[in-house]
Amino acid sequence: MSLRRWLPWLALAVVLVGVLAVGRSGGHGATSLDGRTRRIAADIRCPTCSGQSAADSDAPTSQEIRALIRERLQQRQSTAQIKAYLVSKYGPRILLRPATHGVSLIVWVLPVVAVAAAAAGLGFTFRRRRSRPSLHASDDDRRLVEQALGR
Amino acid sequence: MNHIIGYSAVLLGFLSAVLGALTLAVGLVRRQPAALRGGRSYVWLTAAAAVVAVGVMERALLTNDFSLKFVVGNDSLGTPTLFKVTALWSALEGSILLWTLILTGYLVAMAVRFRDRVTDPLVGWATLTAFAVAAFFFGLMLTVANPFSTSSVLASDGSGPNPLLQNHPLVAFHPPMLYLGYVGFTVPFAFAIAALVTGRVGEGWLVETRRWTLFAWGFLTIGIVLGAWWSYEVLGWGGFWAWDPVENASFLPWLTATAYLHSVMVQERRGMLRVWNLSLLVATFSLTILGTFFTRSGVLDSVHSFSTSPLGPVLLGFFGVVVAVGVGLIGWRGDRLRSPGSIDSPISREGAFLANNLLFAAFAFIVLLGTVFPLIAEAVSGNRLSVGRPYFDRMTAPVGFALLFLMAIAPVLPWRKASGELLRSRLQWPAWFAAGVLVAAVAAGVRGPVILGAFGLGAFAAGAAGRQLVLAFRRQGWRGLAGRANGGMIVHLGVVVIAVAFASSHSFGHRAEFRLAPGQSARLAGHRVTYLSSSTVKHSNRTSIEARVRVDGGRVFTPAISQYPNSTEGIGTPSVHPGLREDVYLTLVSAPKSPGDSAVVGVIVQPLVSWLWIGGAIMAVGTTLAAWPGRRRRQPLEPASAPVPGVGLRQPASSVREPVGIAFDGTAFDGTSP
Amino acid sequence: MSPVFAGAAPPRPRRRHTSLWAAAAVGFVVALLVAVLATSQSASSVEGGSPLIGKPAPAVAGPDTTGRQVSLRDFRGHFVLVNFFATWCVPCQREQPDLVQFSQRHATSGDVALLGVIYQDDPALVAKFFAKQGGSWPVIKADRAKLDFGTTGVPETFLIDPNGIVLKRLTGQVSDAGLEQLVRAAESLRA
Repeated sequence: MSLRRWLPWLALAVVLVGVLAVGRSGGHGATSLDGRTRRIAADIRCPTCSGQSAADSDAPTSQEIRALIRERLQQRQSTAQIKAYLVSKYGPRILLRPATHGVSLIVWVLPVVAVAAAAAGLGFTFRRRRSRPSLHASDDDRRLVEQALGR
Repeated sequence: MNHIIGYSAVLLGFLSAVLGALTLAVGLVRRQPAALRGGRSYVWLTAAAAVVAVGVMERALLTNDFSLKFVVGNDSLGTPTLFKVTALWSALEGSILLWTLILTGYLVAMAVRFRDRVTDPLVGWATLTAFAVAAFFFGLMLTVANPFSTSSVLASDGSGPNPLLQNHPLVAFHPPMLYLGYVGFTVPFAFAIAALVTGRVGEGWLVETRRWTLFAWGFLTIGIVLGAWWSYEVLGWGGFWAWDPVENASFLPWLTATAYLHSVMVQERRGMLRVWNLSLLVATFSLTILGTFFTRSGVLDSVHSFSTSPLGPVLLGFFGVVVAVGVGLIGWRGDRLRSPGSIDSPISREGAFLANNLLFAAFAFIVLLGTVFPLIAEAVSGNRLSVGRPYFDRMTAPVGFALLFLMAIAPVLPWRKASGELLRSRLQWPAWFAAGVLVAAVAAGVRGPVILGAFGLGAFAAGAAGRQLVLAFRRQGWRGLAGRANGGMIVHLGVVVIAVAFASSHSFGHRAEFRLAPGQSARLAGHRVTYLSSSTVKHSNRTSIEARVRVDGGRVFTPAISQYPNSTEGIGTPSVHPGLREDVYLTLVSAPKSPGDSAVVGVIVQPLVSWLWIGGAIMAVGTTLAAWPGRRRRQPLEPASAPVPGVGLRQPASSVREPVGIAFDGTAFDGTSP
Repeated sequence: MSPVFAGAAPPRPRRRHTSLWAAAAVGFVVALLVAVLATSQSASSVEGGSPLIGKPAPAVAGPDTTGRQVSLRDFRGHFVLVNFFATWCVPCQREQPDLVQFSQRHATSGDVALLGVIYQDDPALVAKFFAKQGGSWPVIKADRAKLDFGTTGVPETFLIDPNGIVLKRLTGQVSDAGLEQLVRAAESLRA
């Protein structure tokens, strides 16, 4: 009997898994040279613009950066090597995606830690309130009432 | 002459606001209703001062009064009339003037709306707070950001507004809408402070300010969407949201205000989450001040920044004061004002709204951290880093997905407690709708886990919202679509549309540059782009080289490069061929050297961009419907917690009127122990 | 709030001070934030440094306006001022007379050489500009150089010492007096 209730949801799950399996990969331009160049360039700041990435900007320096990335990819250098080269010229400011080592690790880790802590806190508070009925006045509350009643 | 009238008006406004605040303070501390009435009357004077100041500035701009430094810097003889008018808010000092005008407008609205309750301390404290904020902004204009400062030399012409601010009519809409939203949050904040000070956190003030918050939120939403649209149409990089510090500055208060709009429903229904709601209102207002600081201080690099000025430290100081007051009051009062009720089960409407608060807080935390982290890193290690789009996209995507999921299940969750059976039956149709949309998307060629996730969860949320709307329509016909709950569902639909369009902008787009001789064509992603010719056009404020490009054998578009008299580089103006499936975005990368030469035309084909603006419009419609009085019209003429005689600052304890939760454990009601 | 009847008096809990602690924590964090924001310098002033200072200068070579191949290496043994330049750049036009004056003063002693690098411009236009405004130092076309030197705009000028080490990066328009002071200081350090 309970299987009948869950059947439509099971069917739904099967459909979802199938769809996601088909649609997972083959993302646009993922593995072509152009695609990889653009993806790396999107993590590099355009040095002469205000905050745009080297992938989006048409400034001369951005065009040069894209050409450099393309060349080095053809020379089979890794993303890390290419980024390291640019950092050696411009400093860590050039990376729009902060590095995952050193000081910038904080910016990746801190939100996760904060959310986990907050969720844990909420869960803990909820559990504690469940185990103890809350409709009791504390001493402070009693004092308030006494004050209000003019004692 | 103008500068004397203008400066005097600002001075008058400042004095009036200060006097108003002082009179109200006297009236509140000494409990003198006459003083409360008197204090309120300063509202009209303050508003008049702001109107005069703005009027004088606009007149100066329209009549090319180059004795004012502001007019020299932002206006010129050749500037078209529309951009003369918008020059008011195209630079720092004028934008403060606009802020002040809108703030006094809200003050007037407050005075009118609450004219029957002038002697209520809650209204008194709220008006006092609003006066204090107004006094600050008038004070800014008297000192560090004087729009009416004169130069000793009378210039014969000005330099005109920033070129990017005078080539699109949206400049007339985006800043005023944004300010109507931003500044509008002052009113709920003022009432939150008043509630904390008087200790009256009862449901009365909430109902009063709900519509104000919704109004401000609605305008902020429209302002942000218009800003994105303007960025898209003007900046030429083909994008609309770059997680730029100034964009983030406008987004942060939106996040906390959205959380508030939801969380307040729990307070209305069950009296819970009071401290959350007060904190969210304080946070929203503080974030508007912090955002103003980012925009005007120059510490963060942004394409939107105003010029740097000594305004920064002053704004930062004000931010510190606002947070100190807000946090201090919450710390002092919060525990005493907390309601004794608690959430029965996490799987309930209350639980969902609490989770909603947490998620929006996380979202705001991520955006704020990413925006200021370059400064923190510099303080710690001496090296300034960059935190750009890749970070924000990566970190906010999971939060966005979680919010879409909540959007789907929260409307079907009942209050107090839900059973699995109930959820299963109510979520059937939305879930199958989502599956159907996913299958259709994959069949249409959409690939990639993020975009498919957005489609799936978005459809799930849209299904749940649609289900609510259909049920409401069945019950009450068209009338059922008005009111908070169902207006809110329509807003949710708008959000889903924007979320899906946003996700798809990252996934698949094509860009290329083509060097084309006149008459030559190129193809990109199924579109044919033909370069026809170029011509040089002289406008009153610029000289443009306009290229004529035909798209798909149909309309002709004119991307251009314009040279403004006072800037060294040409400013590119893109031209967009919008479409429901995708936009064809054209830029002139390099103009031909002589009329018959080839030009380099940039082409970007981006999917679903138009749906961002459509989604924004849906949100606007939904907000209007949500503000409509619902079927049950509540006229809250009397607050739930009426003013208690003898209530004021001197007796904080007795101002707590609501029952705090007395346990009858044998003690008599009069407090004596057995 | 429904009253709870009980026979014996239950333990009376102290009121939770969650709000107080949370407010204190938030207040502390915001105070830190304000401190960081108050002591941050503006974004535009963060430019000017360079990771290249103290390191060997990148190789830069290319054809000058006459077609002759010139390289930075040719100037080993002398101080070199590498100057990125474009005719469409207004500050570059304005600094040209100062550069001309500076180069003429050091022409005889030959201790400081100038090497111009074209920044996204047409060599023919550059040649015409130099013919009109003066300037006899080689100006080469080397598109990758602006990246190799980590430039963020134009004009930028780099001082290289006789061993090929980068000493200083100047962004924006330079003056004859400023350059003279810089070179004298560098020379005296070496002496």
